[in-house]
Amino acid sequence: MTATATATGELVTTARGPGLRARARRGRLGIAAVVLLGGLVAMLVIGARPGDYVPLSTENSTPTGTRALAQILRAHGVEVRQVDRLARSAVRDPDATTVVIANASLLTGGQVRSLLDYPGDLVLLGESGDALAALGIDATEEPVLLPETVPAGCDDPDALAAGTARVDVLGLAAAGDGGELCFTQRSGLAALARVDDGTRTVTAIASAELLTNARLDAAGHAALATRTLGRHADAVWYVADGLDPSLLTWAGAGGDGDLPTEVEATPDFLPPGTGTALYALALAVLLAAFWRARRFGALVREPLPVEVRASEATRGRARLYRRARATGRSAASLRAAAALRMGRRIGVGRSDGRDALVTAVARASGRPEPDVDRLLYGPPPADDAALLTLISELDALESEVHRP
Amino acid sequence: MHVTGWTVALAALGALPAALTQSRTVAWAWVLGVVALALVDTWLAPPTHAVGVRREAPGSVRLSQSATTRLLVANVGRRRVRGAVRDAWQPSAGASGERHAFALAPGETETFRTALTPTRRGDRHAGPVTIRTYGPLRLAGRQRSLEAPARLRVLPEFASRRHLPSRLVRLREIDGRTAVRLKGAGAEFDSLRDYVIGDDVRTIDWRGTARRGEVVVRTYRPERDRRVVIALDSARLSAARVGDAPRLDASIEAALLLAALAAHAGDRVQATAFDRAEQARAASTGSRIVASLADALATVEPSLLEPDWPALVRLVESRVSQRSLVVLLTTVDTSAMDSGLIEAVAALQRRHQVLVGSVEDPELGEMMAGREDADSVYGAGAAARAMLEREAVATRLRQLGAEVVLALPDDLAPAVCDRYLALKAAGRL
Repeated sequence: MTATATATGELVTTARGPGLRARARRGRLGIAAVVLLGGLVAMLVIGARPGDYVPLSTENSTPTGTRALAQILRAHGVEVRQVDRLARSAVRDPDATTVVIANASLLTGGQVRSLLDYPGDLVLLGESGDALAALGIDATEEPVLLPETVPAGCDDPDALAAGTARVDVLGLAAAGDGGELCFTQRSGLAALARVDDGTRTVTAIASAELLTNARLDAAGHAALATRTLGRHADAVWYVADGLDPSLLTWAGAGGDGDLPTEVEATPDFLPPGTGTALYALALAVLLAAFWRARRFGALVREPLPVEVRASEATRGRARLYRRARATGRSAASLRAAAALRMGRRIGVGRSDGRDALVTAVARASGRPEPDVDRLLYGPPPADDAALLTLISELDALESEVHRP
Repeated sequence: MHVTGWTVALAALGALPAALTQSRTVAWAWVLGVVALALVDTWLAPPTHAVGVRREAPGSVRLSQSATTRLLVANVGRRRVRGAVRDAWQPSAGASGERHAFALAPGETETFRTALTPTRRGDRHAGPVTIRTYGPLRLAGRQRSLEAPARLRVLPEFASRRHLPSRLVRLREIDGRTAVRLKGAGAEFDSLRDYVIGDDVRTIDWRGTARRGEVVVRTYRPERDRRVVIALDSARLSAARVGDAPRLDASIEAALLLAALAAHAGDRVQATAFDRAEQARAASTGSRIVASLADALATVEPSLLEPDWPALVRLVESRVSQRSLVVLLTTVDTSAMDSGLIEAVAALQRRHQVLVGSVEDPELGEMMAGREDADSVYGAGAAARAMLEREAVATRLRQLGAEVVLALPDDLAPAVCDRYLALKAAGRL
């Protein structure tokens, strides 16, 4: 921003601005545009909630989500609560709560142990990995090659009520006696496994596809899902993502009936509030950027002179010689230059001719004349090696020539 | 508007309440509060038009020396002003310590000095003066720039002036004005005096001896009041860099030294720099020529044009009517064959004595000595070819009767002066 200068006496000052009111009048349209744009941005920011595209998330309304199921459960009076960290689950009454864990294969060993200690009902969705065996279901997970809608084929009341279900994507193959498999298709892969140890029920729905918005209305999926997940008045829903190391928390876990705090559930070496403090410092860094970015006046232009090295043309010629392997031309130039220097030293001009120079050089250096003649006027060298030899001999000759 | 480091420090302090409450809302509220405070501070800051400035540039300075430019800052408003000014100059002006903080009561003034150590010859221009004023909280303030034009003329370095004393001694020897009595040389008859033992017997004036009855000798002195015309070629070839300066700079050094020497010798010097048209001109009598020549040549920049030699010949002929020494400071290389240099020298040599000075490139010498491998020998061959071509042109010029001086950049000025002294001693001016 450079102001037009006005002279006050001898001093130069910036021109007085047109004043706030005049500026506002002149920039009315601009201000209106800025306000409008700001309002629009604010509306967008407030109105647009971040889309949830996590599969099996209850906030996800795409075909892979489970928002439809969550809404059905809520309509039937089940309090469905999705948590983003396992520690936030804070189950108040394990006897009246279903804990739903999607993608349990991503849980850490500590987290699986906390599930094992948990006294209430558990439902595992999708791939569960090591958690299956830990929770007493003796089955292995295998990919389903032939998706099929099959009848329950077991004694489980929920499965019987549902009637049929589709085995798809992932199925369970029996590996022992632990747990009852339902909806088993021809190749022996089951959609659901359940184990009841008397105090609680652990259900694994490997073919979690059947709970998604896309498949919930097919076969007996809706019945199966609402009966399995809607057994208690509360449902805590957690989609594992492998980034959260915290443990499942519930009332009575610590033995004193209190809910453990998040800090106790997440062993952390940093004091509480570190993250927020860093967040505040990051905001300060934005201000620092503005502080440093504002220049103390504009850069001053520097008209630069042309820069060409005087030896540029000669270097170009040297490259041409090299590319053409011009041994003859290079040798001729160096011979002529050496002859000129030696002639000057012993007082023989260029116009005196070849014989006069050869004789004088031979006398000054004490070498035989044919030798000198060959070095100065001999045939051009055939290759690089011959050129190097000739030049070193020429240098030797030149160093031997002294003023007579 | 600008903010200070205090604003950032204050914003960083927000980490404490944010950590204690563990709330990002608090962090945002703190930072937005700091921003609001900075905006209020800016609004409260004195307007920039309450500050007046005046630049006082030192005029001219020799390259490699330092100058001080002064910036007067005055508070012309009704409130106390706390702020800072930046006295911006273009980078090659070599300004250091160009930022100054001030706190002025109404009507008060303060003068700041900025040291300038220019790195290039020519006119160095000042940039805008930027004024910052701070608000009462020192968190932020207003900023405006204003044009306050100033110029610093950077004269040629004239590093070759260290050669001047030794050349003046030589000049006095030729003149016969040395403290030890040495025979004066020159071509112009000065006076007759009695023979003393040691005088050259060839200088005995027999007619005077016969008339007086005692042996008398003639004394000579070098010619005085000769015309010296220095022409600097500022065309395409003078732009090429030799070492770390363009050829033109070596020519300027030579011109300055020669002008200083010739002025001491009592000759009349005029100089011109030209490419297709005259770029600079200096002519004055006595020792003032050096100052006026330095000032005139300070702003000459090499142009990327082919020199117009016939125009130079016409220019010289129109400036001098008597026989003069015409010193052409140019580049002797193979392009001289068809650029018209040889014809121009021939035309000038008919009525004047021409001295051609040319800068040699030390890199060519290094290339010519290259013997490490085949590649460097090809380089040596190319350099030898360039040298031979240059020698051919120089020989052609010598055949026309011109004097030719080929020297490395640092040696050109003394070499041209030596040749001038030799010509003077031989009475060829």
